Amino acid sequence: MKDNENLSAALAAATCALLGSAVTTPVAAQEEGSGSGWSFDSTLLYYGESDDRVRDISAAVAALRDFGDERKLSATLTADTLTGASASGAIALNRPQTFTSPSGRAVYTTAAGDVPLDDTFLDTRFALNASWTQPLARLYTFSAGVGFSTEYDYTHLGANLALARDFNKRNTTLSAGVAWSQDDVDPVGGRPLPLSQMLDVGNNGNKRGGGESKDVLDLLLGFTQVLNRTTVLRVNYSYSDSSGYLNDPYKLLSVVDPLTGDTLARAPIGQGPDGVYLFESRPDKRTKQSLYAEVKHAFGTPVMHLAYRYMTDDWGIDSNTLEVRLRWPLGAGYIEPQLRYYTQSAADFYRASLVSGAALPRYASADFRLGDFDATTIGIKYGHGTASGNEWSIRAEYYQQNGTVPREQIIGNQANREQYPDLSAIIVQFGYRFSL
Amino acid sequence: MNASCAATLTRDTDHWVGRFVAMASPCEVLIDNGPSSLAQQVLNAVAAEAWRIERRFSRYRIDSAVHNINENAGCETVVDDECANLLDFAATLTRLSDGAFDITSGVLRKAWTFDGGEHVPSQLQLDALLESVGWHKVEWRRPILKLQRGMQIDLGGIGKEYAVDAAALLAERIAPGLSCLINFGGDVAVRNARQGGKQWRVGIENCTRMGAADRVVQLTRGALATSGDSRRFVFRGGHRYSHILDARTGWPVRNAPHSITVAADTCTQAGTITTLAMLQGENAEQMLRASGMRYWMQ
Repeated sequence: MKDNENLSAALAAATCALLGSAVTTPVAAQEEGSGSGWSFDSTLLYYGESDDRVRDISAAVAALRDFGDERKLSATLTADTLTGASASGAIALNRPQTFTSPSGRAVYTTAAGDVPLDDTFLDTRFALNASWTQPLARLYTFSAGVGFSTEYDYTHLGANLALARDFNKRNTTLSAGVAWSQDDVDPVGGRPLPLSQMLDVGNNGNKRGGGESKDVLDLLLGFTQVLNRTTVLRVNYSYSDSSGYLNDPYKLLSVVDPLTGDTLARAPIGQGPDGVYLFESRPDKRTKQSLYAEVKHAFGTPVMHLAYRYMTDDWGIDSNTLEVRLRWPLGAGYIEPQLRYYTQSAADFYRASLVSGAALPRYASADFRLGDFDATTIGIKYGHGTASGNEWSIRAEYYQQNGTVPREQIIGNQANREQYPDLSAIIVQFGYRFSL
Repeated sequence: MNASCAATLTRDTDHWVGRFVAMASPCEVLIDNGPSSLAQQVLNAVAAEAWRIERRFSRYRIDSAVHNINENAGCETVVDDECANLLDFAATLTRLSDGAFDITSGVLRKAWTFDGGEHVPSQLQLDALLESVGWHKVEWRRPILKLQRGMQIDLGGIGKEYAVDAAALLAERIAPGLSCLINFGGDVAVRNARQGGKQWRVGIENCTRMGAADRVVQLTRGALATSGDSRRFVFRGGHRYSHILDARTGWPVRNAPHSITVAADTCTQAGTITTLAMLQGENAEQMLRASGMRYWMQ
């Protein structure tokens, strides 16, 4: 066959001509008790940031059990190991800087000129998610799920419900969903009071023990429309409300001299920080809204996926994401290049540093993730179907993030130093999908 | 009307079952719950459509359009729209299969008898027959068809699946929204889902593992078609030759799967994919996978 790729499309067109312009109904067939009804999707993912920052190795197994009649159970188990260091929020200086570690029992030092990283970052996370889908009545599909994850200082518990209804000969689907989650944070060494100063080793006067929690409520409205035989449009709107403890207990802000822009020096008694650093403070509420649109179009067998997301929240962060993927058949497999561009504006309370002598804002954070940045991901995936109907795949991505600190926030000597270091990361994922 | 030209309607627990014989196959119409008068009306229309298509396109019936075309080989024949549509479709399949599928290849059956034995014809015999095979030798300017003298066409490879789709469309016109399963000798189509989330269950015959449980497909909407050679093949020189002939060589396809079932939007698409995949021989599965359709292979 010369044009395998266009076979299905050519055949569909020829059939349409043969049978007249009759509306075709998309096939819906499934085998009863096919195998054991279980299928598995396993992945092993490596994520590594440049300069030995965060490294994550993650293994996941998703099990899907098809009970027929469109009733499905799925469960996913994920294990992550995070190592490395992440930026603490303190600015780089021309002198070495010493910090008290989060546990409050030791100090660590950052070399002159380096962006301070908290290298005690090490964690293992386990997550389990399960969901059930079934038709509720003719044209209605119902799904419900629960999720749980745990790591050293963090526990997550979530639940979700969704209902979808098909219209227009199943060419249109409207869906609505609600999700709720509660996250408990019990930071190493206690919870620092917002905007309290980092203290010497052994002094826990600014820390509170015990956990704090965060509640998140998400509402989702979805619309899917089959535009024609080869094009599907999906639009989702979501509203998310978070409340409770939204701080990152390990993030700092440097307090700087209004003229030089250098961090104020401090003399520790015994072991302790040699500069003035305050713990961050974020509002205890956050409301996000996002709009997502996706078009899938088949050009014969190659399939293009084009998606755009706009997100805005009441912290002042607006973000835009554009993603395009093209799945191209290749022998018994496919190759799928992808490109994603993300850009966000900074939160209103994002501060690269706090200025000594100026009024202390109520909320402040130097967490780069709340700053102004954009990121580009370029990747490629190759998938190969085996004779027994299973599929293995490999995906490689390169991620490049570039951030900026607003000019008016750069003071004195800070202009000569990197304030928002670029970040790059490599992602490699192996996947194997099989049925029993 | 002869004895086979009778359709019977019986009642099952939650649906009607209509039965008749057409195109040398047992035919069945399953009709979701509804009044018996409507079920009878649907069955009558479906059976009439099957018999109509058989009468028009069977090469064995002397009053058929195909017979007329074959009798007129060497002369121009004007064909009607329905026949022209089938010829256009057949021409597309010939193109898509690089000539392996060809409705003029029926004459090759004079040389091949597929009885599970070892008999194969001589190359000389095949070469002589191949003189009369090849769509490219046909003059086709819709609606005028001219076969070369000695050539014949046979729409058997696409006629049954076409009849299933045509009957399903007709049933829908008579009873819009009513779920009917049209099954002509194992080629099946459903256009509307059943009431109450119920599904039609279609068995796929297991031809290799005798006694093994048959597979059952729940068909909500769409079609299934099967192409197989469970009983019709030639075994020779360690190779198993199926009854499916490659029109380019005159030889049966070697090492094709025993049976392929495909699920697609329409029965015509499903049937075409099974045929085109069979023609790929041992590479059948590669083509099935590339088609992106759901398939079962034995």
